[in-house]
Amino acid sequence: MTTDELDCDAALELLHDYLKREISPELAPVVERHLERCVPCFSHARFEEKFLELLSGRTREIRCPEALRRRIAESLRQPS
Amino acid sequence: MADQTIAPTDFEREALPHLDTLYRVALRFAGEPSGAEDLVQDTMLRAFRGWSGFRPGTNVRAWLLTILRNTFINEYRRRRREPVPMDLDAIEPYAVHEATASDPEGEFFSQIVDARVLQAVDALPEPFREVVVLSDMEGLNYAEIAEAVGVPVGTVKSRLFRGRRQLQRDLYEHAVAMGYIAPRQEPSKEDR
Repeated sequence: MTTDELDCDAALELLHDYLKREISPELAPVVERHLERCVPCFSHARFEEKFLELLSGRTREIRCPEALRRRIAESLRQPS
Repeated sequence: MADQTIAPTDFEREALPHLDTLYRVALRFAGEPSGAEDLVQDTMLRAFRGWSGFRPGTNVRAWLLTILRNTFINEYRRRRREPVPMDLDAIEPYAVHEATASDPEGEFFSQIVDARVLQAVDALPEPFREVVVLSDMEGLNYAEIAEAVGVPVGTVKSRLFRGRRQLQRDLYEHAVAMGYIAPRQEPSKEDR
């Protein structure tokens, strides 16, 4: 008899919501418990986490060009 | 005459810190730097004129991105060369995680260079690209994206799901081609 409240399909269904912190406070610990006990789902979660880190982490160095920043600041100061 | 050292207005104080975000999103929407610059400038002017419509205390970044997205759709989209329109419902890429038995925790993702990641994002159909950019690159929550894109949260989630899958497939195939990861073994071959 298992004490898991979620099966793997249900856990994976909620995985992205969980990783993006878009899950209800009641469901988050339920997903967590499943991941702690289920090796395949845990590794799937790591996989999705790596993927999300790739998207969020590596593109942040792109900055607004200085010339554009100045142009915008000036245009806001012009009486129109 | 106007004072030479005017204090920053509320709008400047609130909106200017988000120029990096706006520019990054504009680049992904417009597909090239000069269009992105025009798009950011237009967005800021529209936002400035519409500042009285901003509800203080709500998320100014999401508000600015909504204006940017609408400006893009109304004024810029036709300039971008889109891939051949496709039936979005027909796109059901296989789940990459099931193909990566040799790397079940996705270590290969960290070997992919930034430019290739952006190329994969740019290749997504627009409805998928915009939600992936807003959610997974810029960190807007589902409700903010639903408002910016003008669709229900459920639609945001299903587009995110399919957009992410398609991205994963593209990056996985790239990783196999580059030798970062072993291709999926056919069942007929020896295991291990």
